[in-house]
Amino acid sequence: MDRDTAVLVLAVVTILSVLAAVYPIIPTNSEPFSELGILGPTQQISGYPSTVVAGQQFTLYVYVGDHEGMSEYYQVLVKEGNQATVISNSTSANLPPVMADSLVLVDNSSTIFPVTPSMSTAGLNQRLIFELWMFNSTTSQFDYTGLFAQLWMNVTSH
Amino acid sequence: MKGSALATLCVIFMLFGAPAASAASQGAFGGASSAVQEAFAAVQSAGKDGGNISALVAELNGALSLIQKAASENSSDPAQAAADLGSALSIAQTVNATSASVAQQGLAARQLQFELSIGAAVAIVAVAVALYVYGDRIYHRLWLRIYGGHVVRRVG
Repeated sequence: MDRDTAVLVLAVVTILSVLAAVYPIIPTNSEPFSELGILGPTQQISGYPSTVVAGQQFTLYVYVGDHEGMSEYYQVLVKEGNQATVISNSTSANLPPVMADSLVLVDNSSTIFPVTPSMSTAGLNQRLIFELWMFNSTTSQFDYTGLFAQLWMNVTSH
Repeated sequence: MKGSALATLCVIFMLFGAPAASAASQGAFGGASSAVQEAFAAVQSAGKDGGNISALVAELNGALSLIQKAASENSSDPAQAAADLGSALSIAQTVNATSASVAQQGLAARQLQFELSIGAAVAIVAVAVALYVYGDRIYHRLWLRIYGGHVVRRVG
């Protein structure tokens, strides 16, 4: 190996070593996001109920993930809607929650927990809506994250 | 007369006693929820400072579970609900108080990590410069030490 090659190898090894040494203190700049999902009774993305009896409880699982770059205090609101219910990524459904679950997650973690809702109103194309709200420490209020999931189902009276 | 007085007492209790108990309960719910919110803000801040907040978050989730349990049992067992709310409040206050020291530990660990990283980077550069400047001399001395005792013989 001649001297020029040795110097080049030394320079490359030095640069890589310095990058490895300072990597832990370089701030990451990834896009923060949260996750919300509904899982069926077997904790899988299947087996969702399509027809339920009004007033009869059924089991679902809710998945919430935190990738916001910090710990977050979430609230999952469950609402009962229908075809006319308006909901979007910017506006939550203007309905009273029938259930609410609160949880705190560490950054880069997720959780799955069971919920046992029931539908009160019989009819076709009823919606069970799950909204994810996040606590804002500055305003001391929960803000709608824009994340929602919903199940369409037919609700029978018996 | 006695029966009438008893009935009056009952009505007074129904009018004022029951709402008073319910109001106290609402206050307890609000107090516990506010304590959890304050504790969460402290925990989130400690996490931003690099503190290990996993245990604190687990405690907070325990407090939230107690509040939800209290809400579900409030109508059937108000005494147990009040006890659960008290426990939740106590947990949240403890978490809030502990967050400051966790934040301090996080800041200290972050400072140590910073110093270690910068120190390692400086050391690597220093070694590289030394190798560049004295590399030839070190190589030749090593070569001489290894092969200095070898004797060259003519072949054939």
